[in-house]
Amino acid sequence: MEESEGIATTELGQYLLNGISQGCVYILLASGLTLVLGILNVPNFAQGHLYMIAAYLGFYMVMSYGMSYWLALVLATFAMGVFGQIIYGLVFYRMRSAPEVNLFVAAMALLMVLEGIALYFFGASTKWFLIPFSRRVITFAGLAIPLQRLIIIVGTLVVMVLLELFIKRTAIGAALEATAQHREGAMLCGIKVTRISAMAFIIGTGLAGIAGMLIGPAVLLEPTMGMGPLLVAFSAIVFGGLGSIGGSVLGAFILGLVESLASGYVSAKYSLTFVFGIMILMLLFRPKGLFGREVWRP
Amino acid sequence: MAWALVLIAAIVVPPLVGGYLTSMLILIAVWTIMCFSMNLIFGYTGQLSLGHAAFLGIGAYAFSLITVKLHIGFWPAFFSAIAFTGLVGFLVGIPALKLRGPYFILVTLGFAVIVGVIVLGWIDLTGGANGLYGVPRPPPIPLPRGAKLRFDSLLSMYYFILFFVVLIGLFCHRLVHSLVGRRFIAISYNENLTESLGINTLSQKLLSFTLSAILAGIAGVLYASYNVVISPEVTHFARGMDVVAYLIVGGAGTMAGPIVGTLVLMTVPEVLQVVPYVKTLLNGVILMLFILFLPNGIIGWFNTIPARLLKSREVTHGPA
Repeated sequence: MEESEGIATTELGQYLLNGISQGCVYILLASGLTLVLGILNVPNFAQGHLYMIAAYLGFYMVMSYGMSYWLALVLATFAMGVFGQIIYGLVFYRMRSAPEVNLFVAAMALLMVLEGIALYFFGASTKWFLIPFSRRVITFAGLAIPLQRLIIIVGTLVVMVLLELFIKRTAIGAALEATAQHREGAMLCGIKVTRISAMAFIIGTGLAGIAGMLIGPAVLLEPTMGMGPLLVAFSAIVFGGLGSIGGSVLGAFILGLVESLASGYVSAKYSLTFVFGIMILMLLFRPKGLFGREVWRP
Repeated sequence: MAWALVLIAAIVVPPLVGGYLTSMLILIAVWTIMCFSMNLIFGYTGQLSLGHAAFLGIGAYAFSLITVKLHIGFWPAFFSAIAFTGLVGFLVGIPALKLRGPYFILVTLGFAVIVGVIVLGWIDLTGGANGLYGVPRPPPIPLPRGAKLRFDSLLSMYYFILFFVVLIGLFCHRLVHSLVGRRFIAISYNENLTESLGINTLSQKLLSFTLSAILAGIAGVLYASYNVVISPEVTHFARGMDVVAYLIVGGAGTMAGPIVGTLVLMTVPEVLQVVPYVKTLLNGVILMLFILFLPNGIIGWFNTIPARLLKSREVTHGPA
């Protein structure tokens, strides 16, 4: 009797741990999405695919060129930032005064292009991003903790603290916040809004890059791996409330736990359904989300 | 006039081009219906839905299940399948259409993903990744004097589907030029303003979404009947994105846009003989170029030519 209870608690602990580390990846994606949505008004449907590209970049750097994981992490994040600048310059800068619907379609087109690139260059078959040390499992209080899951959690904490410091303590961060709050007002104050928009987009793709590099060694890589996390991260924004990074962080955390518990206790196949169910209930009964200030209106 | 020429070409060309091209044309016809469906909700009503692959899938699977597992005849199955798709569209539309902008898109995309998961996962019902076999072709239609119109050849199937394309095209034309259609278009321009005129925009959007789901359901039924086999691939959400691409390239909010867009985007990969993988890339690049440089699509651009010749500032309609 006692033993089975013990096993049940360990099981719960294991699911919670998985949920937390999964939630961390959603946190990184969701905060990038919130930033881009808040400042460029672009719902970046390609965020998940950017994360997939980053994971593949890391895979090739580590597995083909024998680079160290940490160096690859930095390089891939940097590369994604540069990529973000290119996308912003080629697409979203040109579309800065386009109707909203066109922005959605452009984000969708970006998703299709990235998926096509991945299929063409990386192939449709799954790849295993194998790093010896990240497969190591630490046993703590009866829980088997894969080292990579710890790296994800610690990495996310570090990145989020840095992001918070950047936004709250630097002049550029203040300009970002001001632009998100009131675009014209920010312009009147002499803030170069296009440059701030580029900055937001670069941070968004950079965050996707970090997320992809962190999750890469913990999952199988495939060109469509970004779709599920994108949808959960987007749901997290809705759940937490639009326009607040804090809200989307909490939303991502909760939905990560929901997904992990649902796949543990119900069925892994239908875990996304639970996440969406919760999001749709939230939209129906409290459309502004947990911490949202107002309902999004065009 | 131009319409009559297009129709004559659609009737005359297939017997001359051989089997492979006819099967291509059948697929183009099916996706044209999908594109009409997308045009109704996105082109005219201004609500971008990424979930239409799910409606196609629901129509196709409902029809296949009713005919294969319940052994019910073609036409009763046809109508119950599209009625069921419409019902699902209605039920999904109630919560989804209360949302605007990115949230509506997100919910429709989520809906498509969930339908995809269920189709793959509920193996007892849908056959999982293997799909369902033995979906029937339409039964012969008796003609006077003992003759019968049979649908076992590729060509006859093409004409059967073409009939629906024409029917749906006429339906959309009538709808758009009716009062209801005008309301849809008004919503696509400015929803708040339309609401202030005393129009219940939610119920209008719901009507448009349900009709659009029914059209997608018809496309699904026709596809299943033509293909005989139905697999989860057709309900993949990426197909829904492809339809949006076809519509934008053709010209959202125009009558000819769905036909031109589907024809162009489905022909280009064939002409270039690209491997299937490159198709996504090609569609994405073409869509990106259009949304950047010709957001009104081919037909939208075409329609601006007279205005530009007259140096008028009049531009074509349509939200995209």
